[in-house]
Amino acid sequence: MLPQEKDQELRQKIANGFVVESEDDMTPSYKKALEVILTVQGDTELVSAPAYYFASKDAPTINSRLAVYAIIQDELGHANIAYRLLEDLGVSKQWLMYGRQPHEFKHPYGFDQPLENWAEMVVANGFFDRAGITLLSDVHKNCSYGPWQRALTKVDREEVLHLRHGESWMKRLAKAGGTAKAALQRAVDWMFPMTLEWFGLPDARKKHQDQLEYKLKGLTNDQLRQVWMSATVPLCEGIGIKVPAHFDQAKNEYLIDYEFPVQYDINEKRWLFDQPITWDEVFVRWKARGPMNVTYISMIQGDKQGLFGGLNW
Amino acid sequence: MVIPETEIWSALRRVTDPEMPISIVDLGLVYGVRAHGSAVEVDMTFTAIACPAMDMLIDDVRECLVELPGVRAVKVNVVWNPPWTKSRLTAQGRDLLQSFGIAV
Repeated sequence: MLPQEKDQELRQKIANGFVVESEDDMTPSYKKALEVILTVQGDTELVSAPAYYFASKDAPTINSRLAVYAIIQDELGHANIAYRLLEDLGVSKQWLMYGRQPHEFKHPYGFDQPLENWAEMVVANGFFDRAGITLLSDVHKNCSYGPWQRALTKVDREEVLHLRHGESWMKRLAKAGGTAKAALQRAVDWMFPMTLEWFGLPDARKKHQDQLEYKLKGLTNDQLRQVWMSATVPLCEGIGIKVPAHFDQAKNEYLIDYEFPVQYDINEKRWLFDQPITWDEVFVRWKARGPMNVTYISMIQGDKQGLFGGLNW
Repeated sequence: MVIPETEIWSALRRVTDPEMPISIVDLGLVYGVRAHGSAVEVDMTFTAIACPAMDMLIDDVRECLVELPGVRAVKVNVVWNPPWTKSRLTAQGRDLLQSFGIAV
């Protein structure tokens, strides 16, 4: 059988409910797609740790700081699960951690940003972890790769705690009013559009649907964006925080209130809603990575000469 | 109107661990409840002094009790003595944790 025929056959089997259990069941193209999506998941979990760590220093109480530490420890565990699965596919975990340059990690642009106060920390839990749970619960429901699908039971349960932490603190800051509510609004202003972008190209622009055909995920980018907005928009509206999106009764879906995507001012952490850009321009910005990329990855990799450093992997 | 303690206990059964669907009553975290007029008081502990879910659970306890008819004030006392051990789990709590693969 030609490689393309074999791959076609696998796609057909997966469409009929086949569960891939080992490398023997895969085609090279399936394996490649699985490696990419697992790397994105692992890297996203991993880099959230240094991002949250810096912001945990702004926690208002010992208990809330402990809650962030517990979240960080969960996230590192989730990264380990994804990397461990990659090891089964022949990718070295040591290389994943220490062998790559900061710009080669595949986490979303949102996690290359500095989280500079407690409001940004809890909005990260409320928005970024909500994005994570949106993506991963879809994988948990639909994924054709058995070992990953099963590993996500624990991950999903723990992500619920992160979300809960973020959302309850968002409510608390909003209720406090004054400068606390203003800081929350300021955080939402840059982090809401940042997460909208996170879900990637709109369906109409997407050429390759391999991840869907291999059932590495079940929902499209636009569907996932809708799921995310269906939780975050009512949450913010309920606490008097403005977001640039609303529910449209007639269309029965959430609509973004600006021409998506738009230019981002990195220094001001502000979206320039009157300056729409193309997705190609978004990819250029993503590829250049964000301001904290090197800091976060160096923190994970440690001193190159040190005990856990890059030269010893 | 006096709020019956049984009602307070059954309300607290609806407060669950944020990661697992097990109630704080089955976890053995609630040491005692008292009602004085429209005020309700709860003595509770946590499985560890560094429990990351402390704030969330206290919020949940307040929210669920304030919804009871006749309750106007809720006071939560965090108690560390006697310390929590797994012997405080109810039989149902033990079964639940075991079904999640946690050794108890």
